[in-house]
Amino acid sequence: MRGVELSAALAARFGDKFLGLDPFPGLVGRVRFDPSVARALFEYLRDEQGFVHLTMVGGIDWVDHREVFYTLWSDRDRTYLQLSADLPADHPTIASAVPVWPGANAHEREAWDLVGIRFEGHPDLRRIFMPEGYEFHPLLRSFPIHEPEELEVKARSD
Amino acid sequence: MWINMGPQHPMTHGLWNLRVRVEGEVIRDVEPEMGFLHRGIEKISENRHYNEVITLMDRCCYVAGMSWEQLFIQASEQALKVTPPARAEYLRVLSAELQRIASHLMWYAAFVQDLGLMTPFLYGMRDRDLVLDLFQSYTGARMTYEYMRVGGVRNDAPHGFTDQCRKVLDWLLARFVEYDQLCLGSTIFRKRCDDLGVLKAPEAVAYGVTGPMLRSAGVRRDLRKDRPYSVYDQVEFDVPVTDTADVTGRYLVRMEEMRQSVRICRQCLDWLDRNPGPVLADHLPRWLGAPYAPVGREAYLLKRNYPTGLGFSMVEEPHGEAGAYVVNDGGEHPYRVKFRSPVLINIWAAKRYLPGYRIADIPPIMGSVDVCVGECDR
Repeated sequence: MRGVELSAALAARFGDKFLGLDPFPGLVGRVRFDPSVARALFEYLRDEQGFVHLTMVGGIDWVDHREVFYTLWSDRDRTYLQLSADLPADHPTIASAVPVWPGANAHEREAWDLVGIRFEGHPDLRRIFMPEGYEFHPLLRSFPIHEPEELEVKARSD
Repeated sequence: MWINMGPQHPMTHGLWNLRVRVEGEVIRDVEPEMGFLHRGIEKISENRHYNEVITLMDRCCYVAGMSWEQLFIQASEQALKVTPPARAEYLRVLSAELQRIASHLMWYAAFVQDLGLMTPFLYGMRDRDLVLDLFQSYTGARMTYEYMRVGGVRNDAPHGFTDQCRKVLDWLLARFVEYDQLCLGSTIFRKRCDDLGVLKAPEAVAYGVTGPMLRSAGVRRDLRKDRPYSVYDQVEFDVPVTDTADVTGRYLVRMEEMRQSVRICRQCLDWLDRNPGPVLADHLPRWLGAPYAPVGREAYLLKRNYPTGLGFSMVEEPHGEAGAYVVNDGGEHPYRVKFRSPVLINIWAAKRYLPGYRIADIPPIMGSVDVCVGECDR
């Protein structure tokens, strides 16, 4: 029921930038949205739908495009919601969620480090696990997993 | 002036670096640095059979292996559309709660040692060993269990296990009283913990902090109650909270959580005594039940019948809320596995709860976070 309400509200608010709400067992659903409205969508969900807690941010490399997903938790409804947006593989950029949820800072640095998604407006978008200056984003499908001896780890820039 | 506390520092309990900007004794800014223990578990998982990822889960968080196994298995079962039998669910909850006790005891031992109290450290490690002995009796291992499987658990508990387990739980309940006397009755402990590292509820929520740190700020959020998974809706327990939001508050919450875990364990043991039955689903697809990963022509033939789907699971792990997102595109390996580490975010919020205190306050405050770098870096 919550999913139907939310779907109608998002369609009224964001029009054709809201691409649909897929069912997802155990969650309200999976909202697909156009990355151009990311910031407005985050603020709307936090302020008017009660999704106060950002649980995780991650990316998936589908080779021809990249997906970025967010999981949100609502204290009011005691439930999760997933957001998902498709980004072009040659320019995977989306607005940062840090101004909306400060806790997104580490999540987005991780997504940049491992999947190579750029978050515009992030205060400090550096690698978090891999050394600075490392040339790969390891969770991309193009990462050469079979030739570890050919990888050369460069020193940290500082 | 910036100071590096880590990667090798008695306070860190693992490899991570806390860069601290100080003015005299007072902390002005902090910058946690991660990645010293990054093993690429998410990447390795993409090239492994589902049941082979369980091995990595034990190593992901080596003080709470069972909780991470349960996390990944639940997400995989949703992605693969497999349902485990009830007895397996009760064994999983029992394992997860025993693990919570073991993890909190490990935290207790390490935390009080940071404060300079040696006796509670020895007591904590001694009693944790009893729980590890229990794990050894039914999984064969003390820390890296590889016990849970997609579709159930590997084996049932041995004859006489439930009685032995009850004895250990009774012993532990009596010891918890001693712990409180040793710590809360100690002036040194109170002076080093009261009103330190305060993180109030609105900031804790905004920063995504979870687990005992959030509950010590007065937010009654526990996924076992709010969004019951497995059989947590069948057992009775309370969610302890305090509103002090400081180091002592986190101590009190964890102590009470251990008592509640004992309560849950007893209910699971009673249920297991009354309800014998299978512990592994009998309708598993052959490639999941097989002890090996099918390869070559066999894998090709089986692949036509692989289901596809998404799996999402969140569990209340001893450190906080851990999450897993499994994308199954129909191959014998998961296409993408994403884990949410509660510790990474709890450490990250140090930017909020450390400034304003003194350098000597860092060990108790960061100790109260319960850092496990294995799951933080993955």
